[in-house]
Amino acid sequence: MSDGPQATALGKIVIALFVLGCAAGAWYFLAGPGAASSNPSAIGGSTTTRDPAKQIAVTIAFGTEKKQWMEWAVTEFAKTAAGRDVAVTLLPLGSLEGAQAILRNDKPIHAWAPASSTFTGTFVADWQVKFGGDPIGKSENLALTPMVYVWWKERHQAFITKYQTASIQTIATALQEKTGWNGIANKPEWGLFKFGHTHPNQSNSGLMALIIMACEYHDKAAGLSMADILDPKFQAWFGTTESAVTGMVNSTGTMMKEMVLKGPSAYDAVLVYESVAIDFLKAAAGRWGDLQLVYPQRNLWNDNPFYVLNASWVSPAQRQATEAFLAFLMEEPAQRQALTHGFRPGNPNVPVLFPESPFQLYQRNGLRNDISAVLETPKPDVISNLLQSWQRSQGNR
Amino acid sequence: MNGKVLGFFAVIVLVVGGILAIRAISQPDAEQTSAGDALPPPSANELRLVFTYGSEKESWLKESTAAFNRQGVKQDGRPVVVEAIPMGSGECIDELLDGRRQAHLVSPASAAFIRIGNAKARAANGRDLIPTAENLVLSPVVIAMWQPMAEALGWGSKPVGWSDILALASDQRGWAAHGQPQWGRFSFGHTHPEYSNSGLISVFAEVYAGAGKVAGLTIADLAEPKVGSFVHDIERAVVHYGSSTGFFAKKLSAGGPSYLSAAVLYENNVIEDRLARAGKPSPFPPLVAIYPKEGTFWSDHPAGIVDRDWVTPAHRAAARTYLDFLLARPQQESALRFGFRPAAVDIPLGAPLDIAHGIDPQEPKTTLEVPTVEVMDGIIRLWRTHKKRSNVVLVVDVSGSMNDEDKIIHAREGAAKLVGMLGDEDRYSLLTFNNQSTWALRPTAMDATSRPRAIAQVQGLFAGGGTALYDAVGEACTALMDNPEPERISAVVVLSDGADTDSKIDLDALLAKIRGTSERPSPRVFTIGYGKGAKADVLKTIAEATQGKFYVGTQRDIIAVFKDISTFF
Repeated sequence: MSDGPQATALGKIVIALFVLGCAAGAWYFLAGPGAASSNPSAIGGSTTTRDPAKQIAVTIAFGTEKKQWMEWAVTEFAKTAAGRDVAVTLLPLGSLEGAQAILRNDKPIHAWAPASSTFTGTFVADWQVKFGGDPIGKSENLALTPMVYVWWKERHQAFITKYQTASIQTIATALQEKTGWNGIANKPEWGLFKFGHTHPNQSNSGLMALIIMACEYHDKAAGLSMADILDPKFQAWFGTTESAVTGMVNSTGTMMKEMVLKGPSAYDAVLVYESVAIDFLKAAAGRWGDLQLVYPQRNLWNDNPFYVLNASWVSPAQRQATEAFLAFLMEEPAQRQALTHGFRPGNPNVPVLFPESPFQLYQRNGLRNDISAVLETPKPDVISNLLQSWQRSQGNR
Repeated sequence: MNGKVLGFFAVIVLVVGGILAIRAISQPDAEQTSAGDALPPPSANELRLVFTYGSEKESWLKESTAAFNRQGVKQDGRPVVVEAIPMGSGECIDELLDGRRQAHLVSPASAAFIRIGNAKARAANGRDLIPTAENLVLSPVVIAMWQPMAEALGWGSKPVGWSDILALASDQRGWAAHGQPQWGRFSFGHTHPEYSNSGLISVFAEVYAGAGKVAGLTIADLAEPKVGSFVHDIERAVVHYGSSTGFFAKKLSAGGPSYLSAAVLYENNVIEDRLARAGKPSPFPPLVAIYPKEGTFWSDHPAGIVDRDWVTPAHRAAARTYLDFLLARPQQESALRFGFRPAAVDIPLGAPLDIAHGIDPQEPKTTLEVPTVEVMDGIIRLWRTHKKRSNVVLVVDVSGSMNDEDKIIHAREGAAKLVGMLGDEDRYSLLTFNNQSTWALRPTAMDATSRPRAIAQVQGLFAGGGTALYDAVGEACTALMDNPEPERISAVVVLSDGADTDSKIDLDALLAKIRGTSERPSPRVFTIGYGKGAKADVLKTIAEATQGKFYVGTQRDIIAVFKDISTFF
């Protein structure tokens, strides 16, 4: 082999850099940002590598008022030893919808987390007819939230100047005021008085609103009866009032978001979960101004039960996995996380009041820790008839 | 290192470099294929998402979609590319319903169009077209008016609304009734309610104001004489309709108070005008947003995934990723820059959504309820009864070059489309020209007897001879200017495929002839530069001189061009 031209040290560096440049270019085109996989699924997935063959898949139907908290929980649970081999799929459904979906069983559901136990009696009764036995295995109340009227502060002040209190009775009166805010507060540019709650057939908070209305009309804290629902005067008042109520969407969060996006032109006041109101207090101030929270004189707790289902399609492994997820939700870290989303912890060992707690920060908006009087949840047949009365009077909604 | 090794090394580098160069050249440059521009056909593996949307949000979506496409997102290993196409809100839905375009995602300017689309789809096949939707950005509908004019109506010191517009529109004294005779008559505009959201909203708002309601509008309300009169009297002040709010906004900003006193636009259009004039001297005063005291509507730009068989699970997943991108903080913050209120509630409102830009972030105080589909249909029928009628002269080039490439054949169909879209009480005339002009039809109402004949007439046109374009346009305009009818929208629609070769007057003389004055207003001239030989600059100048619009037309899209022109009247 003869000696050819020798590469200088500089030449070697240039060649090395050139090769490295080509290699870097090759990497960019073949395996760089453009070749990255699409984002992982938002619900039920984590970015850690898990063995799909070992995964136990469970589906949990849940009320959308808990969406952000539950999504956080699914991600964090997957990082734990108990959750590493569990693939949780969250199925957002209204409380009534969730019960119906479980009974239809067209998609296996292994646990159910509605907003409250209001529908549970009816669900269990329907289950027993269809499948027999008790559908509920393990259960816990994850988090608590009462109902609250949410007002734009300015509108609330003008309202109580006229009516002294903001109760369902005075709201019903204002809804019938034909000249709207002109008659109420000499403010014609505010239009009609607008009050909203969600659709009672599609959203638990809508049904809660009807129960509060009925109990307040009859001035009862307990024992709301069939006779009360069928009372002609109540029926007339109920039908007229509900005809003027707006909202009627299937999600409390959606209605609250609409209120904050579109301001007092959409709603003067709504009746929603306290947790949902807390979620939107800060955003509201950045758009239109302060919100004012007013608690019903007699309230209802939404206890956010979590039911591990005792069904033929739930295998022992799935039952165990679901119970492990429930245990995770009841532990302090998850319960503290629930607080940041405005829920009062179901775990009694987790405090509500501490410096950064929303229950501390938003007291100036009327947020209160103590809820004075609580209504007794009416019997399932009373609730069912209340809903039917609503449907008959509002048939085309 | 000896020469052989060096040479071997060089070959490897050259081969690798060559491969990489070829890949780099063949990969589409995402910067150039941004939304709104025509994308190349999809590559074999690409997952193309077609997204049709109301053009009100074009500036924001164009920028955001380009950013998304640059990210190189993949779905099931396939690169996702979004082709975002702006158009009128009505068009978005109509195209889906009649299958003209298989869009995967759609976003009209308001939920009213989704409701209408879903109702029609359910009636046809029992299935919603767009089952769910979420807001992308929001902007309330406003009456945009020049600040001195708005102040003359009391803006700034008292609530102003449709009743003030009605009083002004009905007053023969015009602005003189408010101590400003130099401003002339009140002139107004809104888009065509069947094609554009702001036009639809305008008419809803007129009806609500006429009925004295903010909610619960019924068919019985529409039958009230006072409602019909209210709509009739306001529509008398309209100068033209049109399919694009954006076009109106641009024309208003460019034309000034002598073009229009006010137009129904969106809050973001007022902000755009302020931003465009920032730091620059302008002959016109600024625009302000009047939030009608009787109530207005939100344009909340709902976006939804289409539920049809051509939308596969992969399309749905990719569409979800794209929607999440549009709703993510960076894109929502950029919406503010374009004058929109973000749908992301945790973004507070700030500049340019402030008083300094002519708007009020604490408005609107009252919104109107979106009517039921049945009432919406009734409102559109009511509007058709009371809309301003038109007097349209169609001027068609029948010179010899129109025989080339079947231009005359497609032009006939386009012209027939225009005639078909005129109302029964609109007047239409036809002037054809080659080296001389011929009135083929003098002004005739397009009723059930005359319309078929007029359509047959344009379908029977044949070409031959030279091109006396200027003479023809001058003759058409003069015919309308000599017989003014302020109760009608006067318009000339000119289709030409080439340069003037035979006119007795030149372009300057034509422009002098057709430029209107307050005593002798000119018709609006809509010009179509048809085919490769058309003189775009000339036709554009003619259109701009009369506050009209210039279109580029080809054999492929000439019917769509005529359709768009029809929306102006």
